[in-house]
Amino acid sequence: MSLLDFSSDVFIAAFFLYSGAFMLFTIAIMGRRWSGRKPEEHTARWGRIAFIASSLGLLCHLAYFITRWMGSGHIPVSNMYEFMTFLSMMVMVAFTVIFAIYRKIILGVFAVPISIIVMAYAAVFPQEVQPLIPSLKSIYLNIHVTLAALGESFFAVGFAAGLMYLLRTVDFSSKERSDRKQQRLVEFTLFSIIVIIGFLGSVFAFRGAGYESVFVRTNVTIDSPGQGDSTIEKVSYKMPPIVAPYHSEIESFQSFLGIKEPLFEAPSWMNGVNAGRKFNTVIWSLLSGLILYGILRLAVRKPLGKAIHPVLDGIDENDLDEITYRAIAIGFPIFTLGALIFAMIWAQVAWGRFWGWDPKEVWALVTWLFYSAYLHLRLARGWQGRKSAWLAVLGFLIVMFTLVGVNLVIAGLHSYAGTD
Amino acid sequence: MKEHMPLISNTKCECGHQNPVGTVLCEACGKPLDEKEWNSSENLEMRYDGVARRSQRVGPGVIDRVWNFFSSVKIAIYLIVLTLLGAMLGTIFPQESTFLNIDASTYYQETYGTAGNIYYRLGLSHTYESWWFVTLLVMIGASLVICSLDRVLPLYKALTRQKIRKHRQFLTRQKLTLVTQVEEEPEVWVARIVQPLRKKGYRVRTEGGALLAEKHRFSRWGPYVIHIGLIIFLLAVLARGLPGLNMDQHLAFPQGETVKIPDTSLYLKNEKFTVEFYTEEEMPEEFRGIKVLPKLYETRAVLYECTADCTDPSKEPQLTEVARHDIQVNSPLSYQGLKAYQFDYDLTPVLRSVQPGLTNSSTGEIYGKFELDMKNPQRSFQAGPYTLELKEKYMDFGLSDEGQPVSKSPYPNAPAFLFLIKGPELPAGGQQYFYFPKQIDKEQFQQSAINDKLGGSGRFLELEVGSMSDVDFSESTTYLNVRVDRAMPFVWVGAGIIMLGLILGFYWQHRRIWLTVDGGELVLGGHTNKNWFGFRREIVSILQKIDMTVDEKSLDNGGGLA
Repeated sequence: MSLLDFSSDVFIAAFFLYSGAFMLFTIAIMGRRWSGRKPEEHTARWGRIAFIASSLGLLCHLAYFITRWMGSGHIPVSNMYEFMTFLSMMVMVAFTVIFAIYRKIILGVFAVPISIIVMAYAAVFPQEVQPLIPSLKSIYLNIHVTLAALGESFFAVGFAAGLMYLLRTVDFSSKERSDRKQQRLVEFTLFSIIVIIGFLGSVFAFRGAGYESVFVRTNVTIDSPGQGDSTIEKVSYKMPPIVAPYHSEIESFQSFLGIKEPLFEAPSWMNGVNAGRKFNTVIWSLLSGLILYGILRLAVRKPLGKAIHPVLDGIDENDLDEITYRAIAIGFPIFTLGALIFAMIWAQVAWGRFWGWDPKEVWALVTWLFYSAYLHLRLARGWQGRKSAWLAVLGFLIVMFTLVGVNLVIAGLHSYAGTD
Repeated sequence: MKEHMPLISNTKCECGHQNPVGTVLCEACGKPLDEKEWNSSENLEMRYDGVARRSQRVGPGVIDRVWNFFSSVKIAIYLIVLTLLGAMLGTIFPQESTFLNIDASTYYQETYGTAGNIYYRLGLSHTYESWWFVTLLVMIGASLVICSLDRVLPLYKALTRQKIRKHRQFLTRQKLTLVTQVEEEPEVWVARIVQPLRKKGYRVRTEGGALLAEKHRFSRWGPYVIHIGLIIFLLAVLARGLPGLNMDQHLAFPQGETVKIPDTSLYLKNEKFTVEFYTEEEMPEEFRGIKVLPKLYETRAVLYECTADCTDPSKEPQLTEVARHDIQVNSPLSYQGLKAYQFDYDLTPVLRSVQPGLTNSSTGEIYGKFELDMKNPQRSFQAGPYTLELKEKYMDFGLSDEGQPVSKSPYPNAPAFLFLIKGPELPAGGQQYFYFPKQIDKEQFQQSAINDKLGGSGRFLELEVGSMSDVDFSESTTYLNVRVDRAMPFVWVGAGIIMLGLILGFYWQHRRIWLTVDGGELVLGGHTNKNWFGFRREIVSILQKIDMTVDEKSLDNGGGLA
């Protein structure tokens, strides 16, 4: 068995160990009211087992990382697959650090799934080892990418704790206007997470079924009078096309549930063929997210926030507030060093300018400014607790946009990261 | 600046200390100065230890008002948020600066439609150079300086002049507080706890039955160190705009040639440019035959300094080698602040020189060969009995609207030479002859037809290249980005100071414990600027050492001030 095969095997092992750890953490918290048990003892015992499982998962994950590094000859953070697998590992590292400090079993119920989701997202991208292009051959690939990911992972744990704070403190039975607003916002946040799960579900379901439809588009550009130039662009859909690329023709179409052609065409301002495909993916994610959300709602018969709220009963909200703040305070210097300072050093060495207002650079700065504002606001009275928790949630949204959204929507110099 | 005397004298604390206006907590004993505060049980406002800041003077003048504006953390947060939003706007469409050559006034309309046009008209296509964005950055700079100065000096004073014995209210209204009974004599009890505190790294001072333990005060300076670093960073960035500190040019270096770097006395020679691609075996199976991935771009470069005859065009400049480096994408050549980065390349061969022979087209006799350099040809050549005078040189031959021959660019894309040939059997004034060294140009511009026109039907001389060994090509051209940036060291120093401040401020916490033992009652108050959780745990373990068991949570006074 080659190193790379071993690497992908332990990666899968890590995935299942994390999933198991998540379930064990959930049992540790949910099972404390089971009959015939002392709640504290139950939580402590199952929590310990869960933490052992998640730590074993992390060890497997590290083994994946090291063997892939050895097998490929370069640090495996060079494309979107490798970066996302690394980010999920760092989320577990950040979780382990914060867990070691605060020993809150409940943190596992919220932080471990983030890592699992990021891991699953990694699997959306091509997994082959690619040789490094000249611009990535640098020691700063090792430093910049890893430190940035570690800093962002602490923000992820801050997000988990912030969300827990909200689920703990929002009054889900109140009919007051301000409480209703909070309830709706929490529900929307949970829904967004479910849409991401829906996206992953539909990607893997259609991939498993081997779905493909192909569209072609002929672009005619007129260079100079009388001289036309036509190029043919092809795009392959891996999900049934609800929406076709703008001005395109069907080359092959695999029917799905009796649908024989796309339901409509992308608007003209989505001019790339891939824009249509991405739009189609968004529609599928929303659809499957809605279905999944609907099923969950039918199962619990109340808003999800209200359903989760009792899980957090008895957890000290001040501790959650402090964990949120502490995770961000630990992550902030690491993020600054990795995502800004080493990014500038590398940009200076590779491109001759330390800062060029490239979209990725700007969004790293936006993330940094956002968390700076957060840290300054913590000084002010009235910004601890609720508002601060919302900022931690919003901040992680900015982090994810910087990592994923910029590549999907804006591209720029970091485009070698590749996206789907 | 005028010092404002306090108009109201209620700033005198009952302990006898006279506090400046704006003081929240007495500088000496820590008792709240505002009478309304006395009956409250809320946590005290411990920011900057409740001392007066410069921005809290009464009756401010103009300068004071500006100072007060920038000294507000609220304003600083607004500035941060505005900058953040502005920066976001700049990423909606690509900035003008990302294109080398566009007409922005039409580009955005054509590429992105109406939205693009609005974007351009709002000036967002150059967000980061716009007056409002630069103003925001300058205002953040001002806020950094003034916010820091306004707080760091009073805070420094307050922390260096701390009194050990504090007012009871000061202790019980900390976020962390403990009131309990002790049986021992005050001095004895206090003496017992000194050792466990010291063991945890606290510096301890006692005064009878009162004690002050403190550690990691330096962490309080962290934010100010960060701000100093940011100011140095911002100033360095501004300084890059000053003339003479900055140079940025993109230059072409054909392989084998030495090219002068404009505005310097330096010359750079591209000895060899290499581009390598990954072989099929090095690629993952899925990519074979589909993708081509570059492996290496490398320019073997030598940097020379001109030592003599630098400005005299008639003489060859005298060059001394000063640096040599194989420039790759992540490895620029560096010499005394000048850096040359691998930027681009072009594998189109560039004609450097040819050695045509003058032949007689009717007899086939070859009179002689000479070397014709494309860039710097000699003025006249000798081939057998014939003399060739170079009349005109066109690097990139073309015809103007009036049908006159012109050079369209200074690059040797389609070189052409007009000779005046003199010698036997030619008219006394000589015969004109057009020569295109490249075969493709000969055909496209119809060399023989032109020459037939110039020389008439009796023309018998031709310039011809015998073999490929008579042609000298430069195989490729490398494009280097040559830069000088004298402000960079300051940028890095600023960044380094920022990091130092971040580490000081975030990974250590300033912890203080005050306690008094009086009449069998222990009153303890604790304050830290971060990580209350760890602080509580530490106090519990210290009290444990002297056999006092306290529940962690019972120390928490609520309020949630972190």
